[in-house]
This record gives sequence, C-alpha cells and structure tokens, in this order.
Amino acid sequence: MGTWSVEQVEALAPRAAAITAAQPLAASARWSGLGADDRAVWGACQGSGAEPYDVVVDHVTVGWRCTCPSRQRPCKHVLALLLLWVRGQVPAGVATGAVEAWIAKRPAASFSSSSRSESEPQPEQNGGEQAETALGAGVDDDPTPAPEPPSDDERDQARDERVERMYAGLVELDRWLDDRIRTGLADPSVARYATWDDLAARLVDAQAGSLANRIRRLAGLVGASPDWHDDVLAELGILHLLSQAGRRLGSLPGPLADAVATSVGWQVRRADVLAGVPDTDDWVVCGRSDTREDRIEVRRHWLRGQRSGRWALLLSFAAYQQSLDTSLTVGTSVRADLHRYPGPALRALMGDRHAEPIDAVPPTQSVAEACDEIGHMVAAEPWLERVPAIVCARLGRRGDHWFLADATGSLPILVPDQRQGGDDGLAMLLARSAGQPVDLTIEWTPHGVTPLAIHADDRTVDIGPRADRSFVASA
Amino acid sequence: MTAPEPMPRPPDIAISVEDHWRDLVTAALLGTDRRGPPAPIPVLADLIDDTARSAPSERMLAHVAACTAIRRAGVMPGPMIDPLAPPDDDDRPPCVPAAVDRWHHITTSWPVLDDEWMLTLVGNGWRLAPELVPTALGRHRRDPVRHARVRIAAGPLADWLIGHLPDLASTQPKAIVDPEALAELPELPIPPDLTALLSASGAEVGTVVGSGLEQGDFGQPHRGVLVNLVARMVPSGLADLATVLDAVDPYSAGAGTASVLGDLAITRHRMLDELSAG
Repeated sequence: MGTWSVEQVEALAPRAAAITAAQPLAASARWSGLGADDRAVWGACQGSGAEPYDVVVDHVTVGWRCTCPSRQRPCKHVLALLLLWVRGQVPAGVATGAVEAWIAKRPAASFSSSSRSESEPQPEQNGGEQAETALGAGVDDDPTPAPEPPSDDERDQARDERVERMYAGLVELDRWLDDRIRTGLADPSVARYATWDDLAARLVDAQAGSLANRIRRLAGLVGASPDWHDDVLAELGILHLLSQAGRRLGSLPGPLADAVATSVGWQVRRADVLAGVPDTDDWVVCGRSDTREDRIEVRRHWLRGQRSGRWALLLSFAAYQQSLDTSLTVGTSVRADLHRYPGPALRALMGDRHAEPIDAVPPTQSVAEACDEIGHMVAAEPWLERVPAIVCARLGRRGDHWFLADATGSLPILVPDQRQGGDDGLAMLLARSAGQPVDLTIEWTPHGVTPLAIHADDRTVDIGPRADRSFVASA
Repeated sequence: MTAPEPMPRPPDIAISVEDHWRDLVTAALLGTDRRGPPAPIPVLADLIDDTARSAPSERMLAHVAACTAIRRAGVMPGPMIDPLAPPDDDDRPPCVPAAVDRWHHITTSWPVLDDEWMLTLVGNGWRLAPELVPTALGRHRRDPVRHARVRIAAGPLADWLIGHLPDLASTQPKAIVDPEALAELPELPIPPDLTALLSASGAEVGTVVGSGLEQGDFGQPHRGVLVNLVARMVPSGLADLATVLDAVDPYSAGAGTASVLGDLAITRHRMLDELSAG
C-alpha cells in the first residue's frame, strides 16, 4: 500500500485553514471502525452531531465521501482521516460492505470532477524508498510483488553472490586507497573528479552504496578549505577502517559486524527492520538537520528517549520536487515504537505512535559532558559522521570563529557558509541567546558542531539547516 | 625503485597524537613512494600489527585509520572563550509565539500584511521576538524604511546583532528615512468604486464581494484589488467577512478566490488579535 505524505494531504486541502481544523480530529480517540486497504481508507468520526460521520477516501484514484453537512471539499473529517493514515495510525483491514459498494461505483481509472484535478496530488510510488536505495542508505523495499517467491536455495545463492560482490568491492577500495597513499595527496589525479567518481560507480556495482556515497562526499572536500588535506586523509583512513572491517565481518562480534555491514552498504529490508523488537519510549524530537547529498535532500531527525536516554536517528529523503518528512516537530515528545537497524545503530524507523505529541525539553549537560557522550558514541563506531548532543552553553567568538562555550571548555561551530550555504542558524542563535547561556541540541561532526535547536522555557526554536525550498516540494 | 626512508625522529621523544597526525599529513602529501610513514607512537603501535603489513602504504593507511579513530573519539573541550557582551536591556515584552508563527505565515503567504504586522507590534508596545530579528533584518536590508522599522521593533538587539553579523545591515546605511513614512502604512491601490467598502461592516463587504464572486462580476483580474481591500478594511469586520466568504457557492467560478480572500481575512483578524495591547 503506497501511503501518502503529509504534504500530499495538505495539498488536497482547499485552504490552509482546513488542515488546521482537521488536526484536532486526527486523533485515534475521535474515530471508530478505522481501517485501510490498498484502495481505500475509512472510519467513523464523532463530530458535533449525534451520529458519527462515515468517512471513506479512495487514496488511489483520489476521491472521498463524508456524511457530514459541510460544503467544504474535502471536509475536515476527510483530511483528518488522511492525516491519521499517513501517520500510520489506521490499521490494515477488510473493507466494509458500504465501503466496497462505494468503491465499486468509482471507475477504476477515471476521475470525477469533484475528486481530482490536474493540480491535485498524486501519491508517490515508493519515492522515498527509491531515494534511499539511490543513497545506498540501507533499505531495499521494492513493493512490487514477485510472481513467485524465490526458494530458500535461490535466496541463499543470491545472498552469497551479493557478499562476494561486496567483498570484491572492498578489496578494490583498499587497492585504490593504497594508490592514493603511494602517489600522495598532492598528485594531480586527486583533483580530478573522475578519480573518485569511477570508484564510486564501481562500489555501487559492488552493492557497497554507502561507501560510494562516502567517496562522492569525500571528492567534494578536495580543495574545499585550506586544510583539505587533513580532512581528506582522515576520511581515507576511515574508509580503510571500514574496508578492513567489512572483509572480516565473520570474525567481528555480532553487533559490531551488523554496524559495519550497514555502514558499508549492506541493505536491510524495511519490513525486516519493522519486524524487530520495538524500542518504546517517550521520544523527544530534539533536533532536525537537512543536507543535500548529490541529487538527494536528506533530513535527519534526532530523537532521545526520555526513559532510556538513548539517541535515535530517523532519516527521510527527497529527490527533486519530492517531500521530506514533516510529521515530527522539534521540541515535542511522542510516545512511539522505534525499530532500530541491526547493530548498535542510531538509525531507526518509526513504528506505531501511541499518543499525540506534547511539548518537551530534553535534559542538558555541560560542554565537557557533551564531549564525553560524543566520544563514547564515536569510539563505538568511528565511522559515524554525525552525532547528536545536548548542551547548555553560550556563544563566544575568536576572530571570525564562533564557539559554544561554558566553564568546562568550548566546541567550535561549523562555519556555516563553508558547509551549508548560509548562516541563518548562527544568526538565530546569536539573536535568541543575546550572549546568555542557552540549552541547545547540536550535531557534532569531525569539522565542528552545528546548532540544531534552542530549547527555551517558552518554546523550542528549530534552527537546523533547512532544505532548499526550490528543490524539495515541501520542507 | 629503492625503499623510501622513514621520516627521522629521535626515538626518546614522546609526541602527541596531534603531532603524529601532522607527520602523517606531511607524509601523505608527498606519498609513500617518496617518503615513508612515520614510526608509530606507542599508543598507536598497540593498535597496528605491522608484521602483517609489509608495504609502506599499507602501514601508512593503518596509521591514518587508527589515528583518525583516536582523534575523533577523543573529542575534548577546547579552550575557554570570553563571553560576548550582551546588548542593552529592552523593557518591552517579546511578541507571543503565536505572533511569531503568524509572521512566518504572513511573509510566505500574505506579504501585503507585513507592514501592518510590524507597525501594530511597535504601536502596541511589543518587542520583535529575538528569533525573528535576523530574518526580518535580512528580509528588508535593501529597503531603508522597513529596515529601520525592524530596528525599532527589535530594539538594542538589532544593532548588537548587526555589529556581530554585518551582513544584516542595511545596504543603504546613509539613506535618510522620513519619520512619517516609518510610522505609516503604505497606500495600496483600490479602485474608487470599492473605497467606500474600506469603512463598511464585514457583512456589507461580504455581500458585495461574495455575490460579485458568485455571479462572476469579480474574476481573476480583480483578485489583486480585492486582496488590497481586505488588507485595509476596518479590522472589526474581518471575522464576519470570512464567514460570508466561507459560504460562497463552492461550485461557482469565484469559489477559489473567495477561499483565498477568506484566508486573508482570518489571517489579518488573528494577527491583530495576537498583537493587541497586552
């Protein structure tokens, strides 16, 4: 079933106020008889009348029916039902007789004037997953059912071939790294993009997509700063580490082997992740950051469990004119099931949500304590490129360099115009803090930290780098 | 090709990981074909099994990997930094979070309300919420009047911020701003046959505009002047106008415009409510 995005629901609304009116109704407690299948989603909403309103939406050819008296089309009940559905709060079910009868009257592929126009949204077919696969980010989730499922032998053979290809790719990567180290970083070949791109293409063929992406990001560091030799050499070292570890998966402890395999690019089916034991907690959405990686916009939501204190990372992807996930609001907490990727992974998928989000502020710590927390996470997985932390600090400045500082020390702030193309976050932090200490969610990288959110008493301000609005459909 | 000589180093001098990293970068720049990797420092020697790595480039890669992992995992707080001198105090309360959200909505969807939002904020004794100051300054840096208005609304914070981030300063710092222009709403073009509606009740405006839209008297070309009318009509009629526009026949040709104007009326109504004197 291809679930829509929140943006597609918003685009269906006749005006922005309709979504606002629908939001309070998009709570499971207001509904009964909820269900969805691959054609429709339905339920009964308790409105202001004595009888609940029966609502059904055809999410394939886009049409709806609601028994409420509103003349707004679609009404807030339809929008609320769709919002519930996109949040995963509508269980799969078998259509009732009334729903089946209504669907049966709808032509399979023709759209009535009241249900659809050229400008109305069309559900993306697996757009997010395609993007993930393009990134090699660890998901292989083609929803098209195979006519005949492969046998166990065929599956094992395919897996063995895949492992073999990946092993060969890692051997080739190490040979390539060796060449770079032998000829030196001052060699003209390092400045040629083809040197990197050819290797990345071969790694994609070897099904080591994550390493291929890493190589392409690394190519962008060449000549990007006066210290680029430092940055490139460090990344070459991490690639060597991953390559060596990837070739010794069998001798590594289980969780570490899983972490290495995922970091190399071993793909894990989304369904397999979701079938894992859920990590249920009140998850505070501490921060968000968007980055462009090649032709894909990547959104990271950093969540922290209020009970466990553990961090989790939710990713969403958007190719040109696709939408990023806007279902999570920084500064709120949601009781939900998270399903983690194999190993000690930060990365997770959101499963069931058990309650409406509420405002929340994560606990804070000193700069030294934040460094300690970051160090522990990086020591466990030295190839991590981003790690979250929360810190209470004030802004400081030395020349053109900005820092987050307190009595225990300082952390350099990533120069925004070098890495992100703007300094809105720094300006916002400067304005909001006015020289005073503030509670912050930050994202550590080897090059410095990026402030993502300011947690004040009255509200949380999301100051993380934001996707280019001309590139994504909704950010 | 002869085996490259390792980088010389007195064996009895302990060097830090950072110093060792500098040596590694130097060797990597030249390439191990020309310069062998430095001898590993004790903390790395335990991590690297040199016996299995005969080639200098292999040893070098192992050094680099181990050293990078240690440097990254060993993230330490940097030196103490002097605090910034804060801006002067501003006794005015900052505008409420709802007004902040409304400003974002206005600047993306209804910029025609931007001037009124800022003037109402200042007039009713509010201060621009700090998180809006950089965006508002940047938005109006090419417009001396509006930029000056933002500086008034933001108080001492604005100049303090500009001192730290000069890109937020006006592009015309020497422009002379007329104080009257600073306090006045700019006029919007409204045709004479609609000017009487500026002081009419919401129901009256709604009757004229709603029926005009339903019957096709107002079409797409009139949308601009109708927006101006709603943006400048007496505020007390906005809620009623929105109600009337909401009831416009959804199948009529003007239903889309009615919906848009209704959103403008509600937006302005709520904006003024959020910025009313505390």
